[in-house]
Amino acid sequence: MGLKKLFLRMATIGLGIGLMTSAALAANLRVLAWDGYADADWVKDFTAATGIGVDVVFIGSDDEIWAKIKGSEGQDFDVFAVNTAQLQRYIKADLVSPIDVTKLANQKEVLPRFRDLTAVSGVTKDGKVYGIPFCFDSIGLIYDTDKVKPAPTSMSVLWDPAYKGKVLAYDNGEHNFSFTALTLGYKDPFNLNEEQMAAVKAKLVELKRNVLSFYTTADEAQQIYQNNDVALIWANYGQQQVKALQKIGAHVAYVNPSEGALAWLDNWVISKGVRDNAAAEKWIDFMLSKKVSGELSERTGFGNTVTETGSAGGNDKLVWLNNVEDPLKRSDMWNEVKATP
Amino acid sequence: MSEAGSTQPAERRLSLLVTVLAFALPVIFVLVPLAIFLGYSFFSVDQGTIVYGLSLGNYVRFFTDPVFLPVFWNTIVLCVSVAIICILLAYPAAYFLTTLKGRWRYALLMLLLVPLLMSYVIKIYAIRSILGLNGFLNKALVALGILQEPSTLFVFNMNAILLTLTLLLIPFAILPIFLSLERIPQVLLRASDDLGASGLQTFLRITLPLSLPGVASAASFVFVLAIGDFLTPQMVGGISGFTFGRILYSQFGTAYNWPFGAALSVALAIVVIAAILVGERFGRNRGTSV
Repeated sequence: MGLKKLFLRMATIGLGIGLMTSAALAANLRVLAWDGYADADWVKDFTAATGIGVDVVFIGSDDEIWAKIKGSEGQDFDVFAVNTAQLQRYIKADLVSPIDVTKLANQKEVLPRFRDLTAVSGVTKDGKVYGIPFCFDSIGLIYDTDKVKPAPTSMSVLWDPAYKGKVLAYDNGEHNFSFTALTLGYKDPFNLNEEQMAAVKAKLVELKRNVLSFYTTADEAQQIYQNNDVALIWANYGQQQVKALQKIGAHVAYVNPSEGALAWLDNWVISKGVRDNAAAEKWIDFMLSKKVSGELSERTGFGNTVTETGSAGGNDKLVWLNNVEDPLKRSDMWNEVKATP
Repeated sequence: MSEAGSTQPAERRLSLLVTVLAFALPVIFVLVPLAIFLGYSFFSVDQGTIVYGLSLGNYVRFFTDPVFLPVFWNTIVLCVSVAIICILLAYPAAYFLTTLKGRWRYALLMLLLVPLLMSYVIKIYAIRSILGLNGFLNKALVALGILQEPSTLFVFNMNAILLTLTLLLIPFAILPIFLSLERIPQVLLRASDDLGASGLQTFLRITLPLSLPGVASAASFVFVLAIGDFLTPQMVGGISGFTFGRILYSQFGTAYNWPFGAALSVALAIVVIAAILVGERFGRNRGTSV
């Protein structure tokens, strides 16, 4: 009897707390971003300036963004960061809303090459803007300057038997097929025919035999580097990874390969399920401010679209990431590569 | 919600509600999701969207594609090995615990279970550092003169997964074995001694058979936990330690092929359920014969 009463009272209190928290969450802007794109101090400044609370969820891979956004049909987040190659997929699946650029005062102040968004491949469709570029970097090669001599100029060094068991590669089928295609000299690494796919797959099986492990996050690569004999890292996180390694005293350098380095360009986009469009626009505009953009480059080493930075020099050949012909097939073939004994 | 309002009929309604809740929770949170999973395994994916038409394609692919069955089989062998090693290490530990008196017994048992309070990921990170080329294990082996130079035997291969899973799962083996050992009546052991049996004979003919139920449930526990793990193989498995869990995981993240992932999960679930049934069957038969 007494127990039942207690149970009921607890249920009532629980329901009350539940309702209160869901009410509090309803007002917050829900942001999905990579680590480094929504640092706590910026979020705090943003909330102070606009009065809008922010909930940030960090992700670790392109596939995770897709799974989260597609899984909820865009209802779980208001704003998220995605690269130009991926964006078209979201537009096609009707998961993102067009953005009214006139609402973004800071977009008028960006670097000239990002000012005309129709000239940036992948961010527009049918004259509507879907993504606001804010950050970019190349996917180059990190090498240990003590172990790798002379300095490498091409990704082909990853296959060099001299570095057997000292190579860290990235666990992602799409990118691995693209960069290997570039290394093999194929013109369009994002659209491979059957024959080219087979050649790339064979080449990746060879690469696997030279590799110590496949990593997924920059932290993970760094930890492996510290505890093992690593000479070369395929640097999915580019400058961010170089900086972190140099900080712990590693003798490493970074190079964009001569055959062309894959490079990504990240954009802020507004999801289909956005609850408060004006708040989402304010967030994007805030991220495009000189202060935040500058600090983003300072902290991560990435290039930004607002201030000039040293990331990826003017002579480096960058190949902007694009949609690949068949992501599912690349993923399946990547599993086959990994399963090959 | 005034207290005066709780009259007799209200109370009866409340107990009915509690009963319904007791049945509803497992149905809603266990059976329904499992059924949805099973349903998904008959769908397919086209251009990144799920096609809701029934087909056996996923299962046909699982059995015919040369990639999946070998990895599935290797993973089962790996997890059986983990279970066996865990038992071999946990049995002496549990036996030692039961020989202790009073509070020492439980204090030590608690100490052995402390690792369960730590984050799984952090434990894997720590173990990976220990196993690495510049890690503690290699340094110790070189310092002791057992190895000439650091070896890559312990990290980024199947050995690493075996070692890591064993370390992580040993507490789950110790506990059931300890409980079954502790339940053996001391009088049986004393009677055996009175009748002139040696210590070894007593152990082989009384202690060991009576503790087998605990061993069986420990083995099925460890096997099930090991085979469901994708994180450990992902983090320490490197290039040669490719397990079924990693393939399964990739169907959800990378490939966005939920239907095929669901079909692979069904295959995994069948093995897991079989392991649990075998463990329980074996355990119960021995248990009731006492």
